[in-house]
Amino acid sequence: MIRLSQDRTKTLLAIHGWSAVSLGLLLYAVILTGVASVFEKEISDWSSPLETNIVDPFPPGTDAMLRGLAATVDPQFHEELFFYPRAGDRLYAFFHKHELDEDGKPRERGVAAEFDPRTLQLLDRRSGTDEEVAAGERASALSQFMVDLHVRLHLPNPWGLLLTGVLGLAMLVAAVTGFVIHRHLIRELFTLRRRGDKLLGARDVHVIAGTWNLPFAFILAFTGSYFSFGSAFGFPAVAMVAFGGDQDAMFSTLVGNPPAEDASPAALANLDAMIADVRARSGAELGFVQVEHWGRADALVTMFMKYRDGKLLGPSYVYGGSDGGFRYAKPSLGRVPSSGSALFELMAPLHFGNFAGVFSKTVWFALGFASAYVTITGLLLWTQRRQAQRAWLHLARATHWVGYGLPLALTLAAYGYFPVRAGGGEVQPAMMTAFLACAALAALIAWRTPLQQSRRYLLGATGLALLGLPVLRLFCGGISWSGAWIQGLQPVLALDLAFACGGLLCLLSLRRSNLSRSTTLAATPP
Amino acid sequence: MSGAAALALSAREAMLRQRRRVLWRVLLAGPLVFVGAALVMCGGALWLPAGRAQIDNLVLPIVLFPAIWAALFFYACLDRQLHRAYWLIGALGLLHAAMIAVHLWH
Repeated sequence: MIRLSQDRTKTLLAIHGWSAVSLGLLLYAVILTGVASVFEKEISDWSSPLETNIVDPFPPGTDAMLRGLAATVDPQFHEELFFYPRAGDRLYAFFHKHELDEDGKPRERGVAAEFDPRTLQLLDRRSGTDEEVAAGERASALSQFMVDLHVRLHLPNPWGLLLTGVLGLAMLVAAVTGFVIHRHLIRELFTLRRRGDKLLGARDVHVIAGTWNLPFAFILAFTGSYFSFGSAFGFPAVAMVAFGGDQDAMFSTLVGNPPAEDASPAALANLDAMIADVRARSGAELGFVQVEHWGRADALVTMFMKYRDGKLLGPSYVYGGSDGGFRYAKPSLGRVPSSGSALFELMAPLHFGNFAGVFSKTVWFALGFASAYVTITGLLLWTQRRQAQRAWLHLARATHWVGYGLPLALTLAAYGYFPVRAGGGEVQPAMMTAFLACAALAALIAWRTPLQQSRRYLLGATGLALLGLPVLRLFCGGISWSGAWIQGLQPVLALDLAFACGGLLCLLSLRRSNLSRSTTLAATPP
Repeated sequence: MSGAAALALSAREAMLRQRRRVLWRVLLAGPLVFVGAALVMCGGALWLPAGRAQIDNLVLPIVLFPAIWAALFFYACLDRQLHRAYWLIGALGLLHAAMIAVHLWH
């Protein structure tokens, strides 16, 4: 039990309530889209699979494929190349240079391409700044829509990142104050008064879910606000102080690869041989490759590995680009292990939950879902206690709108994606239109109908929309279930099943609440 | 003025004083703590040890920014003496701002 004076407990209770009430709805949106983003790779594999399961996204022949692309790209973009597998394990490559935008912020400009690793054929090619290239994205567009909503609420940078950073801090405050104000932590982990009045029962469920979830909420909030603030202003601000604003110089120092400039031309050594070497050397699968100064004597190739499930951290491997020889293994930051690099490397697996494959992702999904549940039930409890006051009734309606309308709008974004993609149109505006139109309709329902009824409409529509998703995918030219089974495309089958189950659960919970409502009415004396 | 009216007036004054106090605390715990935490983060790059890899002073303040902010925020909310909280957070911020200014000047 945590002992606090009555005065301080009151202050913390007020902070807990007001931080949640003022930012709770946006926080719920960020958490819910974060829950979906845990399975970002699986969603993109489900929405845009290749015809067969890809065993090796970096097959022999990758070298020739990239050389072919390099020959067609303006040499100014040979400054840097990334390549890594994306939706359906298509191999994505981006030749680019670094430049400053109109506001003096760093950005990348170059040529991006996607290849089929089975046939080594070019599937797609786009050019422009990194933002323009991302805007033309088709294969990963659906999962990217969720991720963008989670990361920056589709607001322009840096405002979106700053807002989600503030939301992360609000969640941190709610988690810390929740830990302190729920003083009987152990008892509250198991207390559920089912026979008391309904509001008391609902409060107990909120407290149980919140209490079990406290450590996870803390981790998520801490790492989330770091990611938002770090990129929005942390790195630029520290670069301003320590490097006079030169972010490139700061990143060179952080990465730790010495910039021994030698611009004399030299052909890049064979990438296939380097890939085979790094696999043998590390015993891990390759995840991401960076080539600096393609075609120059000072070229460096850095290989980032995907370590086996359960291993949180591991080195990356650096090769000389011109001779293909192994140079050294290093942590993500710096040339030798350090506490800074270890802490930095821990942030991603702790936030994304991808350190033990699908198992840890499922746990993160479940815990994230519990966080979203705690956020929305907290708001519902707050507004339920105050629903006699007109101002709070609006918050109650907004809570129903976002709480039940957002899952529906997210699902309907997929209804914008599949048909337009099948028709060859622009998928980004289609998804945004479907999302916003649904959000507007949900607002109309939330403000025009009684609260219980709006919940029923929105939850029912979400259930039906989720049930229809696998059918929509099939109708829009997606691979059949038997084809997916034969070709080993597990994400397609697993997500079709998950969406159908999710839809059924929505409809069942609707039926359950209808039954309990009619039981309550029958038991109520006239 | 009757006793009841005087009592009502002093109760109103007390309420206004309390409200003003809450506003000053919100100002401190909100924007001022955020600016203070940002200054500590930037200034930290100048006094933290660089470590074996020569990067700890750059990375640790950025990664730990949420913790710096949270510590200052809860202190600003919970210190019973508001003026002391203003002094302490102000001094911390100004100290780091001065360090940054001296560094940039040179």
